[in-house]
Amino acid sequence: MTKIKSILISNRGEIAIRISKTAKGMGIKTFGIKTSKEPSAYYLQFMDEIIDFTELNNDIPEFLDIEHIIYSMKENNIDAVHPGYGYLAENPYFAQKCIDEGIIFIGPSPDSIYKLGNKTIAKQLASSHNIPLLEGSNGNIRNPYHAKQIAKKIGYPVILKAASGGGGRGMRIVEKEEEIEKMFRMAQNEAEKAFSDPSVFMEKYVRNPRHIEFQILSDHHENIIHLGERECSIQRKHQKLIEESPSVALNKDLRKIMGDSAIKIAKVSKYKNAGTVEFLLDESGNFYFMEMNTRIQVEHPVTEMVTGYDLIEWQIRIAQNEKLTIKQEDVKQNGWAIECRINAEDVQASFAPYLGTIEKIQFSNGKNSRFDTGVTEGSNITASFDSMLAKLISYGETREKAIANSLAALNKLYIKGIKTTIPFCKEVLNHPKFQSGDISTSFILNDMKQLYYQEKDEELIAAFWASLNHNIELDDNDKTFIDYEKGKNINPWLMNKRLKSL
Amino acid sequence: MFTKTKKNKQKFIACTEKKNKYEFINPKELYIKQGKENIPIEIVSDKQGFVFVIWKKKKYLVDIIEKNQNQYEISVNGVTYPISVESPFSYKRKKYLAKNKGDSKIEKIQAPMPGKIIEILVEENQEVKEGEPLLILEAMKMQNEILSSFQGKIKNINFRAEDTVIKDDIIIELEK
Repeated sequence: MTKIKSILISNRGEIAIRISKTAKGMGIKTFGIKTSKEPSAYYLQFMDEIIDFTELNNDIPEFLDIEHIIYSMKENNIDAVHPGYGYLAENPYFAQKCIDEGIIFIGPSPDSIYKLGNKTIAKQLASSHNIPLLEGSNGNIRNPYHAKQIAKKIGYPVILKAASGGGGRGMRIVEKEEEIEKMFRMAQNEAEKAFSDPSVFMEKYVRNPRHIEFQILSDHHENIIHLGERECSIQRKHQKLIEESPSVALNKDLRKIMGDSAIKIAKVSKYKNAGTVEFLLDESGNFYFMEMNTRIQVEHPVTEMVTGYDLIEWQIRIAQNEKLTIKQEDVKQNGWAIECRINAEDVQASFAPYLGTIEKIQFSNGKNSRFDTGVTEGSNITASFDSMLAKLISYGETREKAIANSLAALNKLYIKGIKTTIPFCKEVLNHPKFQSGDISTSFILNDMKQLYYQEKDEELIAAFWASLNHNIELDDNDKTFIDYEKGKNINPWLMNKRLKSL
Repeated sequence: MFTKTKKNKQKFIACTEKKNKYEFINPKELYIKQGKENIPIEIVSDKQGFVFVIWKKKKYLVDIIEKNQNQYEISVNGVTYPISVESPFSYKRKKYLAKNKGDSKIEKIQAPMPGKIIEILVEENQEVKEGEPLLILEAMKMQNEILSSFQGKIKNINFRAEDTVIKDDIIIELEK
């Protein structure tokens, strides 16, 4: 067994901190990457050693600079790399390069990453093993005419997806034939830009589906289990905003069937390490395989909270060839966990990114909540990085209690300096339909009248606060400019008085 | 209330974006009048410096996001409210001016977020329907179609493809 003694965390923000905490707890030395875009970033405080990338002067973003990352690991004699999510987490070339250089890549094999990362191949793999799939183009679309033909065959609405895409990018829903050619070109264009691969495929679009995903753990000794489901139906433009585990939509039987399908996908792709199999679940309980994510996911803490297992720890243990000691029958989902993503976005301006500096941040840690943050007082939010700042994960014995605990924690989470998705999360958690569990991926679009939570008197309080501050300022001005007869600083009251006396 | 002289009775009219109007007399005395009752306000700050207003046993996190003369952007529990504070005189003046200006027939299509314009899908003088796509804006690597919220004629196009815009830039002006 090759015990890992040091890890390079080739990522930033909350996930770099999250990984470092577990690794340190296992007695592993952690290395972080310092970039010129945020040289005093919060995550660096959690690393044992820092590798300086600030002097690098090339066009490749630091966390994508494979050559330099590999070189740094060799130079510092680092055993393994944890890529987190995004960046190099699902890059088969990087994983292969690590293996070639004798570095342990904490994740699946390059072959699995490649096969599952290419949605067309992944779907072929699933369909040949009788995993339910949505009807689709069975391969890439060649041209607008081809798109039109296939869409006619499977029936509108259809969805166009980038073959190399993920995270909601490069997807287009097409409602009617008149739009298909234009949308196909846009999807291709976007795919080319985002993933340097214009391949696009098509499938049937299911209305009001739920997004259900299964967490998989698989070792190098033929042991493979799932840790239950997560429901991530609260999405905006395919970006997840609130996730929970378990899901109200699953009962024991459906959980078993879907879990077995997830395990099967992992098995046939010879998947090792932690991964996630994503399904769509329709209103009548039919499920369809979507894709498998070959990385740790943003929403992994909800699974950790209900099952009690540390997924990062298991990623590392599997990577150093340890046997999975958890049996499927050991896995219990206790209670309920909800994750709220705290993004630097202005929910009052269609979730536009909000840039600025976090002047102050305060969170009261309770026994029912966990706050995974990548920012602290003084952190700058720039356009260089993703807008997700932190995640608030709350626990309750029941879903109802988890919702109540989430709301209580959100009400005590204060951030000054930037606008965040906190008011959005509150509105969702207060929504009767969310509370009854009646959700789908169209929830935000179809069921939310307003995207942010407001108390009845908030506007009144705002009006008062403005008036009070204005009053104080005017009084201060009056004190400064006593000699108003000379025409300095004429205020409205004075003007009114004068006009009346004319 | 004959005891108070007019001199130390300052009235403020806070106007919101949706044209709601709130009146406060001497806000420094820290109460809000509801009906005939004066309900006291308490202002507290915690050790980190967050400021809260407590009113009717409810606690509100407050902050001034931006201020320009009498125009305020106030944040209450993370939601922002643009508010202009007027005196009775300036309020009257504002109302008078608004009445005489009449309804503007020009509607502005503003950038909802910072980004790069990929393509402008319309031309000047073109008639467009409500919901018709006007342009494609790329922000954070996502391409977004910006739809027309009105029916009308394209009056001005202020940007071209490949141009970068910041939030609230007026990209297209539309004549209703």
